[in-house]
Amino acid sequence: MLTRKLFRTIGRYKAQFISMIIMISLGVGVFVGFNMEWYSLEKDTDFIFEQTGFADYRIYSESGFTAEDLEKIKAISGVTDASRFLTVNAAVKDDTDILAIAVSENIDVSGVYLTEGEPYDAESPDGFWLSDQYAAKNNVHVGDKLTLTYKMLTVTGTVKGLVKASEFLICIPDETQLMPDYNSFGFVYLSPVMLQDIIPAIFKSFVGDSLYYQINVKSPLEKKAFVEAVEAALSKTLLVLSKDETVSYSEAMGEVEEGKTMGSILPVLFLSIAILTMVTTMHRITASEKTQIGTLKALGFHDSRILRHYTSYALAIGLAGSLLGIGIGYLLGWYIMNPNSAMGTYIDMPRWDLYVPWFCWVILVFINVFLTLIGFLSVRQMLKGTAADALRPYSPKKMRHLALEETKAFKRLNFATKWNLRDCFRHKSRTCMTLFGIVGCMVLLVGGLGMNDTMKAFVQSFYDNAINYQLRVNLDSETITEDEVDKLSEQLEGDWSASMSVQLEDRPVSLEIYHITHGLVRFLDEDMQDMPLSDDGAYICARIAKESGLSAGDTLTFSPYGSDDSYTAVIAGIDRSLSESIVMTDVYAETLGIDFTANTIYTDSTDVPDSSHILNTQTKQAIMDSFGTFMELMYVMVSLLILAAVVLSLVVLYNLGIMSYTERYREMATLKVVGFRDRRIAGLLISQNLWLTVAGILIGLPAGFGVLSYLLTALASEYEMQLVIGPVTYLVSILLTFLVSLGVGLMVARKNRHIDMVAALKTEE
Amino acid sequence: MNIIELKDVSRVYKNGEHEQRALDHANLSLEEGKFIVVLGPSGAGKSTLLNLLGGLDNPTSGTVIVNGKDISTLTGNELADYRAATVGFVFQSYNLIPTLTVLENVALVKDIAPDPLSSHDMLKAVGLFDHIHNFPSELSGGEQQRVSIARALCKNPKILLCDEPTGALDSETGVLVLKLLLSMAREMGKTIIIVTHNQNIARMADTVVRVRSGRIVSCEQQEHPLAAEEVDW
Repeated sequence: MLTRKLFRTIGRYKAQFISMIIMISLGVGVFVGFNMEWYSLEKDTDFIFEQTGFADYRIYSESGFTAEDLEKIKAISGVTDASRFLTVNAAVKDDTDILAIAVSENIDVSGVYLTEGEPYDAESPDGFWLSDQYAAKNNVHVGDKLTLTYKMLTVTGTVKGLVKASEFLICIPDETQLMPDYNSFGFVYLSPVMLQDIIPAIFKSFVGDSLYYQINVKSPLEKKAFVEAVEAALSKTLLVLSKDETVSYSEAMGEVEEGKTMGSILPVLFLSIAILTMVTTMHRITASEKTQIGTLKALGFHDSRILRHYTSYALAIGLAGSLLGIGIGYLLGWYIMNPNSAMGTYIDMPRWDLYVPWFCWVILVFINVFLTLIGFLSVRQMLKGTAADALRPYSPKKMRHLALEETKAFKRLNFATKWNLRDCFRHKSRTCMTLFGIVGCMVLLVGGLGMNDTMKAFVQSFYDNAINYQLRVNLDSETITEDEVDKLSEQLEGDWSASMSVQLEDRPVSLEIYHITHGLVRFLDEDMQDMPLSDDGAYICARIAKESGLSAGDTLTFSPYGSDDSYTAVIAGIDRSLSESIVMTDVYAETLGIDFTANTIYTDSTDVPDSSHILNTQTKQAIMDSFGTFMELMYVMVSLLILAAVVLSLVVLYNLGIMSYTERYREMATLKVVGFRDRRIAGLLISQNLWLTVAGILIGLPAGFGVLSYLLTALASEYEMQLVIGPVTYLVSILLTFLVSLGVGLMVARKNRHIDMVAALKTEE
Repeated sequence: MNIIELKDVSRVYKNGEHEQRALDHANLSLEEGKFIVVLGPSGAGKSTLLNLLGGLDNPTSGTVIVNGKDISTLTGNELADYRAATVGFVFQSYNLIPTLTVLENVALVKDIAPDPLSSHDMLKAVGLFDHIHNFPSELSGGEQQRVSIARALCKNPKILLCDEPTGALDSETGVLVLKLLLSMAREMGKTIIIVTHNQNIARMADTVVRVRSGRIVSCEQQEHPLAAEEVDW
């Protein structure tokens, strides 16, 4: 019988029950969804890293490695496997597309994951194992023939299989490109046998066995120990990059970290709003059921039975909300993490399975236990004393004078203001929850939209200020001479730069040397303002400045990889940059005695001469487009958050509005009987709502600003962005919050037309 | 002069198939300035009658004329204005606003009544001037009912409608409240209508209206109504 009562009571409070379930499911959904994103990404990338034997270290040598070198590396204790590896960017014949040719002598290291066709064959004389994404975009099928050219070499092969590879998890030609574009760039694996076949005998006689300039190694050793062991084994200093320093691994893990940061702030706020509101509502429902609780007690039901019965409401809501929430979480997770999403364009992996992190389950259990406990405690409070005590209706706390009532200003207030003020203080938890709901809505809106503004401003600054050229011409620094660079840049009326990898305090950063005569490349200071480079020192990016605790006037020492030289530069300033980099003019680089060759020319000319030294060109638009797709990843998250914020605040505020309406029903009925018009009573209700909204907005604005700046600090290792919140964001956040709050206020206030004065006033006080 | 006229008034409540005639073809004329008691057992229809007179409810059929105005066809806002100007209510359960002080509870009607009286004077008259800054929850039941009388009279209405005003009070306090209600209303020339099932109160009335099963069975004038202290409580 009590079970029947349970369902009927749920029916009676259906608005509250439904809103509580929606709140919990949204809170849980956003929390689970956002955490699922990074956790699944971690698991799914782990899968391809494992399946394809992603190397822990890459050792580079411009002179190449012999088979003997490989054996020496393999002999290092702690090295589990190693392979000589080669990758070069080749052009697809009669096309502008570029394919990275990759050869791994030992396919267990830096290998491939087959998605279609024949498995990789290390002995195949003509087999191509092509990127399945490139194949799909370019309509290439298994069995098709492809011809590639690299410098003077031409190689033709048959596509035997379509694959994915962890080495090309984020498949970009170089670090200037942020997003893969499989229409024009992909990768292809071929066998070591085929590689030997295509190298002309004359070239082989020159390089001997040292075709491979890279050894990829699987080893659990720490980098320092590994580098020492390698240098001891090969008796020379070499550039060694750990997997953290590869684009594939670092960018994928960067996404994971970004997801973790996002998942740890806003969704937590979301979940706490949902839980706190649920707690308040649960308590109120129990209070309004007090007479029934008393009746059951008076009838002879044991306290434990009544407790069980009423506690089951909270448990039922918790369970229903959690189940729905997990569904929403999966939906959100899938929306962000599916092969056709922006993430799918960014990361190329075979498996897009979704996983719920273990701690989400713990939190889900905790939420249910917590809600049940709250239900239990509320009912126990109502059951206190004798059956007669329990039968008396719940009476809210007695009114006490507020301290501010002594002030002259309070005495001058009209009755409506006094009424609302005292009501706010009398129902503190409800007021706080409403305020919390509005602040939360505001924080999520300011945070979400502000993130959007910040990113846009960041990209825009680069577009408008930093990138002042129309075309970027990438040169082959191995073959070009200084004179040829000067000639070419003169011809193109361009500026040029040289970049190289240098070691700074054990980590690789990029050193960029610029020769600027046309102002085609500009640099941004910390305030995103134009900053001309001086010839008196080097500029470091904000990340290096922060991580190494350096500022203008300090000195820093770096050494180019593969050389024993080290240079000490004076820091002239700090700039904002896309990559972790040290920037200086060619004049200063020469003062320091750095040996460099230009590898890029920046120009406004589109008339690029035919030259064997030019590897490829990139338009400004193409560079910006790759930013655009990259930003999409963030937009998806931001828009989901905003949507969820609006829905959650609607539900939270409606729920609290109904609660306030129910609690003041009798008072409103009295006002109505006395002769107050419906509009006036609605005005009373809405004015309280508006006060709380204004207060919520006033708190929410700085809180949103704070959350965003915390988020940016947390993401600082990924981006060098300066917090920007545009007036539109403030306006939209304020307006949207007002609209939500006012809309809910009006919805609730409309109800007062239906107040049954007679019935309301007959009920016992 | 008649201040109230009911012409063939019925109030029918429908609950699914079931139909309940709370008031059935009632006709009634009541004189201004009188103390009227509506008497009847529970469910007889007396509260329905009071609600119709107070503009809390509309009749299903018939005409309710109060102070020369047909209130049976008024809209929601017009009824609110009518309640603000013409009638004052005193309920069994006081219905004070818990978050307003005694003074504020009385003064709040000054915002809406066209011709209100001084709230301080009203509270002085009901003997609660020392408690004007207390909240209702700090007062006894009798005191709370006195506040509700002060509030009703502060609007300066022509008619005072009281639904079992002493129902929640012990008999001693009840008599005190009743005496106060009567003396103030008479001094101020108000028409008082009290709905009750208490026969003793009826002995104090100028007019006694008896209601049973939704019908008005009698409307008698009493030549010599008793004073409150003369009634054997």
